[in-house]
Amino acid sequence: MLEKVRDLAKRWLEDKEVDVIFGLKEQDGYIAPYLFTDASELGNLTISTQCRLCYTCRPSKENILSLMQRKEPNTKIGVVARGCDERALIELAKRGQIDLGKVKIMGVACTQDEAKGCKCERAYPNNLVLGERVKGVSEDENVDALLNKSLPERLTFWRHELSKCIKCYGCRNVCPMCFCKDCKMEQEIYARTGWLPPEIPMFLFIRFYHVSERCIGCGECEKACPVDIPLLTIFKLLRRDVKDLFDYEAGLDAGQESPLLTTLDEAPMKEEVTSGV
Amino acid sequence: MEYKNVLTTCPYCGAGCNFYLQVLDGELVGILPCKSHPVSQGKLCIKGWNAGEFVTSDERLTKPLIRRNGSFTEASWQEVLDTIAKKVKEYKESYGPDSISVLSSAKCTNEENYLMMKFARAVLGTNNVDHCARLCHASTVVGLVQSFGSGAMTNSIRELEDAGCILVIGSNTAEQHPLIARYILRAKEKGAKLIVVDPRAITLTQFADHYLRLRPGTDVAVFNGLMNVILGEGLEDKEFINERTEGFEELKETVKRYTPERVEEITGISKDKLIAAARAYAKAERASIIYSMGITQHTTGVDNVSSSANLAMLTGNVGKTSTGINPLRGQNNVQGACDMGALPNVYSGYQNVIDEKAREKFGNAWKVKLPEKPGLTVVEMMNEAARGNIKAMYIMGENPMISDPDISHVKEGLKNLEFLVVQDIFLTETAQLADVVLPAASYAEKEGTFTSTERLVQMVRKAIEPPGESRSDWQIICDLAKVIGSKEFEYKSPAEIMDEIASLTPSYGGISYDRLRKGGLAWPCLSKEHPGTPYLYKEKFTRANDRGKLFGIEFKEPAELPDDEYPFILSTGRIIFHFHTGTMTRKTGLLNREVATGYVEISPKDAERLALANREFVSVQTRRGQIEIKALITERVSEGVIFIPFHFAECAANVLTNPALDPVAKIPEYKVCAAKIEKIKEIPR
Repeated sequence: MLEKVRDLAKRWLEDKEVDVIFGLKEQDGYIAPYLFTDASELGNLTISTQCRLCYTCRPSKENILSLMQRKEPNTKIGVVARGCDERALIELAKRGQIDLGKVKIMGVACTQDEAKGCKCERAYPNNLVLGERVKGVSEDENVDALLNKSLPERLTFWRHELSKCIKCYGCRNVCPMCFCKDCKMEQEIYARTGWLPPEIPMFLFIRFYHVSERCIGCGECEKACPVDIPLLTIFKLLRRDVKDLFDYEAGLDAGQESPLLTTLDEAPMKEEVTSGV
Repeated sequence: MEYKNVLTTCPYCGAGCNFYLQVLDGELVGILPCKSHPVSQGKLCIKGWNAGEFVTSDERLTKPLIRRNGSFTEASWQEVLDTIAKKVKEYKESYGPDSISVLSSAKCTNEENYLMMKFARAVLGTNNVDHCARLCHASTVVGLVQSFGSGAMTNSIRELEDAGCILVIGSNTAEQHPLIARYILRAKEKGAKLIVVDPRAITLTQFADHYLRLRPGTDVAVFNGLMNVILGEGLEDKEFINERTEGFEELKETVKRYTPERVEEITGISKDKLIAAARAYAKAERASIIYSMGITQHTTGVDNVSSSANLAMLTGNVGKTSTGINPLRGQNNVQGACDMGALPNVYSGYQNVIDEKAREKFGNAWKVKLPEKPGLTVVEMMNEAARGNIKAMYIMGENPMISDPDISHVKEGLKNLEFLVVQDIFLTETAQLADVVLPAASYAEKEGTFTSTERLVQMVRKAIEPPGESRSDWQIICDLAKVIGSKEFEYKSPAEIMDEIASLTPSYGGISYDRLRKGGLAWPCLSKEHPGTPYLYKEKFTRANDRGKLFGIEFKEPAELPDDEYPFILSTGRIIFHFHTGTMTRKTGLLNREVATGYVEISPKDAERLALANREFVSVQTRRGQIEIKALITERVSEGVIFIPFHFAECAANVLTNPALDPVAKIPEYKVCAAKIEKIKEIPR
């Protein structure tokens, strides 16, 4: 599979289908995003579920792809994307953060094991170029265990989990969908600042609700949590609610408006776009 | 367009987390966590996540500064280096080399600390080199060396996860070492018992099975009490005591006198809680002790540390995984700065300057005759500066004007110097007093290594260019040594410096950049084939006779106790949102948003007695000085105790602290002094 990805990336660069390839690079055993500008570097291109591509940079609070497109609006960027990377791109485009017209997606499917590892419900991109579609993980033991608890038990469970929070903001920082310039989590009027644990439930719940309909289910927030709060569990339930209530799923179609940005008379509201291209 | 991610080691605490610096066209645009790193595992704390912001601050120093007619003017590197060289020669000739002293830096790399101590000894000709380890874990180095043979964390961080019991004493782990607290919480989830001993109800206490709230400064009595219960109930590990230790009879005699009743009287911890905690610790298959400055920063710092070692050895909890004594070190490279010999009595690898063989070995390598007399420690340097015996000081990456006890006295000392050179990334409170300021590169702008609290040596990689004319500390030291006339500072890269370190330092003998690029190595790492040592003392201790030493240690009161005039006990420390003297964190937006300035924690009962409202400004006074600061009324402190974080220059806790020293380790007693509080009418500023 990796060889196929490298070959295709090489062909795209050589055939000028794209100007650069945005993918993962392996060096000394460590894997991180990298912009390949020359075909000779592609020997270090790798595929892994260890790292995503589209992170929001801080303190600018802009996606790395937005920053790239701002610098070079005409550069065509080839992106080696897993399902979740593609959903992030679509959702970012929908919200005015990036220009999908200048992006060519090389969709790579995840294996069954990789899907299990990420507890991923949809382990393949729409623009599938390489790999086979495998069935997503529909059963999640954490979700089931939670749903089997009584309401008071659930409250105790979440109180305990949230009380572990050390306010690193890591869940927000790794989220490709968290790019608000005036993040409410930082504001004293919503949750007391300068204190551990942060105010329960406000501090984390602000984000749960704000991201509820844009969450692409990549699980990066849970993986970034230093105290192992089961954040993917709550987002799976929120995603389920959004699907049930609005028949909507984030990250599938850039042309589909978010239900929470739609008014009752069906004229779509404009999201305040303070950045992006 | 160029976009890359450069893996590096966090510049804040000693946990040694790694992350990537995101670089877009040469500009630092963000930070990404690294999931394959053994400690951080793709997670970071709030400081780590924001460790890029101060790097690009427009307050960074970009040009050398020289004081002319009382104010700073920009100067060329040539001019400032010539000026320093001339002064160094003058003082050496007129007053002797010991009239100069050097402060090295726990924020700088191993290579830079090695060079700084080499510069002090081989170029200046003095052993007057020390750094802030004196102020945080000097008692660890002394205490653990006398108990075990080596002054460092015995086990590795991740092992904590599999401990059956974890005793945390004097460490606010969740705030000061958040990514280490991660492994305490994971151990809890797996069923471990957690004992927290602390005068403040710190964040971890909410998860503790046993919370022992002691009167500040009574740690030895707590340890003796725990051991009294353990011996009384026959829970000690007799085989371990017989085969691996000495001094048991002495310990037994002393501990006998610390009955739970007496310990309750001294410490305020109820005897039932003490007994329950002692059982939990002793009965666990594997028990770990974690401590930090809560026990080291006392006039009895060494006693406290050795007492913790007593408890571990008494129960056989040393020399196997998930056990041991785990001092958590506060700075990214305070372990490394000590390992490199940035201390007045040892060369790298703790080779003693009074040992003729060691002196000869380093003297031969550096082609110079080395001074024999051990040098001055941090607080002693300031005292001698105030007395006029130290004429010149060279400070690299330290800010004693905030970090040292009794700041008024520190200022007096620094101002009394004839010549002060400060090398830093910002114009700190200390740099403002300097005659020459040298602009240095930050961690993101240079290559090198840091050694974390678990003895793990890790790479620091250059991501971006240093701003303006600033240079890496290692380059500045080499440049200066060359101008003074030394031929022993011809290094092309930090990798070459590490090769020299490895050749002279047995515990770093097998360490090289080729190996470190693939991942960290824990010392001792004796040869190129040696895999490193995650936990110490598996077969034997490293004292002369291979045995660990148990000491009978009597409880002693702190140097200054509350009285009628100063009725409160003042304790100081850090908070999660800021770091040390605030030089880096106070230039970071989100951190300032969380906590903008200092405060004094006071209990609700004391606040009521003083008729204080929350956030009201008060005056806090001790025999050293007075500050105005806002009150924070909280149950986190008990009656009679107040707490002030020391990060904030405008209400600096260290104006108040007591510079009384531990007699051996010379660490000041930051954790206990007597204070009074008064309401003030006018709000300052």
